[in-house]
Amino acid sequence: MVAFDVRDVDYDKYSNRQLAVVPLVVLALALLVIGAWWATTGVPVDLGLEFTGGTEVQFTADDGIEAVRSTFDESGAVYDSIQPAAGGNTYILTTQSTDTGDIEAVAEQAGYGIEQVQGRSASFGSSSQQQALIGLGIAFAGMSVLVFLLFRTFVPSIAVVVSAFSDIVIPLGLMNVLGIQLSLGTVAALLMLIGYSVDSDILLNNHVLRRRGGFYESTYRAMRTGVTMTLTSITAMITMTVAATLFGIPLLPEIGLVLVFGLTADLMNTYLLNVSLLRYYKYEGVAS
Amino acid sequence: MNVRENWRIILLAVLIVVSALALVGPGGASGADTDGTVATSTDPTNLQYGLQLSGGTRIRAQLDGMTAEDLAFTPNDSRDVRQTVASELGLDPIDVRVRSVGAQTGTVEIFTANVSGDRFVDALNQAGLEASAEQVRPGVTDQTLDTARGVLDRRINQGGLTGGGATIVRSATGQNFIVVEVPNANRSEVLGLIGEPGRVQVVAGYPVESANGTAHEREEVLTQGDFTNISPARQGEGNQPPYVQVTLTDAAAEQYVGVMNRNGFTSEGVGQCFWQQNPDEPGWCLYTVVDGDTTYAASMGDGLAPLLRPGQDGEIAFFNNPTFRMQTGNFSDAQELKINLESGALPTTLDIQSELFLAPSLAQQFKPLALLTGLVAWFVVSGVVFYRYREIKVAVPLLLTAIAEVFLLLGFAAAIGLALDLSHIAGLIAVIGTGVDDLIIIADEILQRGEIKTGRVFKNRFRKAFWVIGAAAATTIIAMSPLAVLSLGDLQGFAIVTIVGVLIGVLITRPAYGDVLRNLLLEDL
Repeated sequence: MVAFDVRDVDYDKYSNRQLAVVPLVVLALALLVIGAWWATTGVPVDLGLEFTGGTEVQFTADDGIEAVRSTFDESGAVYDSIQPAAGGNTYILTTQSTDTGDIEAVAEQAGYGIEQVQGRSASFGSSSQQQALIGLGIAFAGMSVLVFLLFRTFVPSIAVVVSAFSDIVIPLGLMNVLGIQLSLGTVAALLMLIGYSVDSDILLNNHVLRRRGGFYESTYRAMRTGVTMTLTSITAMITMTVAATLFGIPLLPEIGLVLVFGLTADLMNTYLLNVSLLRYYKYEGVAS
Repeated sequence: MNVRENWRIILLAVLIVVSALALVGPGGASGADTDGTVATSTDPTNLQYGLQLSGGTRIRAQLDGMTAEDLAFTPNDSRDVRQTVASELGLDPIDVRVRSVGAQTGTVEIFTANVSGDRFVDALNQAGLEASAEQVRPGVTDQTLDTARGVLDRRINQGGLTGGGATIVRSATGQNFIVVEVPNANRSEVLGLIGEPGRVQVVAGYPVESANGTAHEREEVLTQGDFTNISPARQGEGNQPPYVQVTLTDAAAEQYVGVMNRNGFTSEGVGQCFWQQNPDEPGWCLYTVVDGDTTYAASMGDGLAPLLRPGQDGEIAFFNNPTFRMQTGNFSDAQELKINLESGALPTTLDIQSELFLAPSLAQQFKPLALLTGLVAWFVVSGVVFYRYREIKVAVPLLLTAIAEVFLLLGFAAAIGLALDLSHIAGLIAVIGTGVDDLIIIADEILQRGEIKTGRVFKNRFRKAFWVIGAAAATTIIAMSPLAVLSLGDLQGFAIVTIVGVLIGVLITRPAYGDVLRNLLLEDL
């Protein structure tokens, strides 16, 4: 918890360029990962079942994975894969077909307990995908417009928008690296990031632009509050991710993990990128 | 305590009491004297839970079909249009629906997934309607959609699966979906009830002599809508098959008697149905046909036949009591038949878009675990906040305010009957997150640079903090609003909870926290 003592940061020792280069390099890396992913797989990030269509059947069985696979192979049921899920003798079977009557019958006959069946058609999946994209797009555009209306100056506003963009892109890149699929839950988390990200940025801008006092003093004060906020959120999200994973609750771990990535990125973006842009604006931008 | 200065705290207290009433008070109109005994479930609150937290099946489907709108024809042409379109496309006339809209225009729907838009346009042109491709869209009309919703709703509730229902959901891209949700039922049970159109017909089959020998004619006599008073399925007496007894409407009774008498059912055809033994020469049969499949063939009984024939006075006794037994092969068919008769037929087939089944045993265990997760997260946040402020007067109200926010939101959910799902829980977490953030902003702003000398300094600082909070809340609401409108299922619930939570926070709880701090800190002076 040393980070609370933010007075240790000596901004005046570093130039704007030096401060901004770290977050920009990380952003570029994240974009590179996403770009490479896009080029090789055709999608910027792996899409989950909700967006591609297909069916997932989750069931419990006393048999081992090999025995479970052979049960389905012998029955002639069509499926893509069977994977053990977290937590002992639970398995997840995936298939592109939306008619899972056969698979359910086989599972029931073998005495497996079906816990969850989740399926959607490919067309519905792609329309969900389209809507999620539109949703994210409108959310981001709406946020940008509002930020510009609030500050009415270009540099501070664009700093907020760029930092929010980076807060979304960095977790997306990390999702590719760690093999987390884009699901409705992770889309929700990305949207939440817009809110969280803007929180600390607005706080910083407000302190620097709208208050009396020197740049460094204002920045330190904003940082003291902002870092507390973000660290509190990060610890809450880590707790949620760990607890929900241990308890086997779906959806919450994905949301928690993406938020942890995004909030960490936000610390970096706000207090390196945003600060340097604001300092440039305060000392050089205004004069021009 | 000065009421005028502390109205925010008072408002918060009042709303907490209201929320508590909404959460655990006796539900609905059942009155206060029932005193909590209304709830039969194990859950002590009035909260309702969605599929992900209670288990069950959700199916989202579209209706197969195509619609041509703004066609120029008069109500008198309807019948011809229907016949022509049906025969051009090789459809049963029942799969073509013609509706007049006003005196000059109307719409034509076809209920099939197997006809292309171009062929539909051609068929409409053959019927003289001068249709173009722009007038044709996939999907069905709102009326048909509503009919289908009603049919599905009745089927679920009459089929012994309680608590479920069907709703229409419109997506932002203009697509319509029917969503069927049934708690405590698995996927195959639900699909068994709703998967088929369930169109019931009674068809008369009889031999017709002609120069080329004997042909077997089939003619629809009765269909859904011709029946009133549908009895429960019953076992037949003796070796008679199970049946559903129905009463015919007057018009249907007349039609039925006419067909029977004209075609020899009440004379040489009595007891002469051999469909089971010899489907090629079945004789005189009354077929029970469900979705085009003959499920049973019955003879005209010698008890009923005399009632259908005109008596000496020309009166037909049947009209006094026009009841009719629809027989089936086994008892479960009879039960299904009853459901289909009562709920009506689906106008068209369902094109299933997504389905979800969650075992109740699994889902219900998420409920306490999700609560526990939230509590653990709250304790961790508490630890961080205490570490940061080391001042009970600041930290305790902060944490209590954060909890109050969740409490108000749950009260709101109980009051409007929102069925809580995991997505809503995620929304609650988002609200706690932004809530704690905002409370930290308020606390820091007020505590900065030592002592607060006067109430005016306090107000000034509070207003500054509020600018940041308001701006952040506005962006969160803007970011979430597209999702609240676009129907993405899970995300919609998440967005709505987040928006309502942020509103409650900014308008009620977070300002109240500022007042609490003022009371606690100004007393020191």
